[in-house]
Amino acid sequence: MSTAQQSYQLSDYLEKLPGTTFRKLYQQPSTAFAIFRRMLPPLAKIFVQALLYMPAPLLLSELDVWVRAEGKMHRDPRLSILRSLHIIQITPPGKDRPQEMQLTTNFKNSLRLALEGGGTHNSFGVPSTLPVDPRIDIAHLDNYARKKWEDILHYVVNSVPVHGEAGGGGSAGGPKSSVKDLLLVGHLVERRHDTRGGVGITQAGFTFLLQEANAQVWTLLLQWLEAADRAKGKSDSIDMLSFLFMLASLELGRAYNTDALTETRRNMLPALVDFGLIYIPREDTRQYFPTRLATTLTSSASALRSVSSGFSAATANNPGDASSLGTTPDTSAASKGSIFIETNYRLYAYTSSPLQIAVLALFTQLSMRFPGMVTGRLTRDSIRRAIGFGITADQIISYLASHAHEQMARAAAAAGRPVLPPTVVDQIRLWQLENERMRTSAGFLFKDFDSAEEYVSLSGYAEEIGVLVWRNDRKRMFYASKFEQLRDYLKSRKKAE
Amino acid sequence: MVKAVRGVLVECEPAIKSILVHIDSTHHNEFIIEDLDETHLFVKETMLHLLKQKLEERLKETYRPEEPLEDSE
Repeated sequence: MSTAQQSYQLSDYLEKLPGTTFRKLYQQPSTAFAIFRRMLPPLAKIFVQALLYMPAPLLLSELDVWVRAEGKMHRDPRLSILRSLHIIQITPPGKDRPQEMQLTTNFKNSLRLALEGGGTHNSFGVPSTLPVDPRIDIAHLDNYARKKWEDILHYVVNSVPVHGEAGGGGSAGGPKSSVKDLLLVGHLVERRHDTRGGVGITQAGFTFLLQEANAQVWTLLLQWLEAADRAKGKSDSIDMLSFLFMLASLELGRAYNTDALTETRRNMLPALVDFGLIYIPREDTRQYFPTRLATTLTSSASALRSVSSGFSAATANNPGDASSLGTTPDTSAASKGSIFIETNYRLYAYTSSPLQIAVLALFTQLSMRFPGMVTGRLTRDSIRRAIGFGITADQIISYLASHAHEQMARAAAAAGRPVLPPTVVDQIRLWQLENERMRTSAGFLFKDFDSAEEYVSLSGYAEEIGVLVWRNDRKRMFYASKFEQLRDYLKSRKKAE
Repeated sequence: MVKAVRGVLVECEPAIKSILVHIDSTHHNEFIIEDLDETHLFVKETMLHLLKQKLEERLKETYRPEEPLEDSE
């Protein structure tokens, strides 16, 4: 079971939005720019850049000239991403006219504005002209954001029922009740009576914990957007989403003007303060400061700190050090590795962070705890339990690899071996296979075609856009992971006939 | 008229598949929508969890893998 447990991501959310919503979203240059920056793979970016200043639509056949023969298989999935985000339009295949593609109007105009500057859209925020308290510097904002976010993570971790020691942070105080409700609504935790807080962690919650901070923030924000959808309707959530994209384009350490915001956006501020995405000084609510959690929302996900490196940065307790929350995330994450794993499945972790210990306890059978160190073993049962929680073998392996002690990395590099012992990696995968006797994926079965020709054309198209999973030509059936684009394709085919 | 049916594609070994088909036939065929081929089944989304449970139970009766490595403490 791999599909359902992947926690909810921005691309899933965007995919479900209708075209009209995209047209509204793309009225904001900051949104168009953020989508371009965050959501597109490199090849898709190249296409967009090339099309951006093209005066007339481009013939689809001419695109073939740009793409080398061996890159053909990469081209169609990229085009399909661009289409599903409503960035490009491609005319339907007709008999008399060749297919053409062009950027959608709003996206094109907004992206040009974003690149060239100008206009009075205020889409990239209005800086505050009021004097700024000199105590509010980047280090202050980092500390503030870190504290807020870790409160949330602690709340989720503390809801793990197994280990009493996980609740080390009594000082935290926990997040606001609105945030707790959100975690409940998002099924990251659920109400239970056997734990101290009255809530227990869910499968989605475990996946959430092992994610990078950036993905975590988005998971929570999307839950929030959906909750707003249900409460107030779509128009509010569009403005909310574009506000988030705008926040991502602001400058860390600068004050922005709250009066320049629309009412919907002003109403969002208290919640964003609770998440730690912005900071509002108590004395003067006319200013807001984006924190690093907000300004990195649309940068590439891999550059961001993970749970434990962030936590060790926090426990390092170095308020003057602005780099501790990741101005140089690569180096800080690399030097914070603390885990040794041996070929006999024993695991040693040099850590005293309750958060990291709790995360390790998800898939390790911990046996001893010393000041500054825990030891344990990976066993069939511990991995099996983790998989039962909905954690995948790959998540465990990548967690171990990214948190391996630098000594392990050095020894491995010297001997020309992978960082983790291959026996252990293989065994974790085997344990998963043993538990996963069936691989499942949710989707749609297409059947009862009127003609062989219809079957061939639709299944061919499904393969082209990369959603075809299984097919049987004799039975004239195929299985696809998505159906929206196939439905559109069928419609346009009907029209063409 | 072409139809698109929502559900879950299950991929497994033929041996496991035959167990799944048997479970289905002893439960009023409420799990499987379509038997696709030797290694694929198309299953109702809402019943997937229960089907997994039933398979787990069935396997427990017959199969007990051993711990691959004993540790000397």
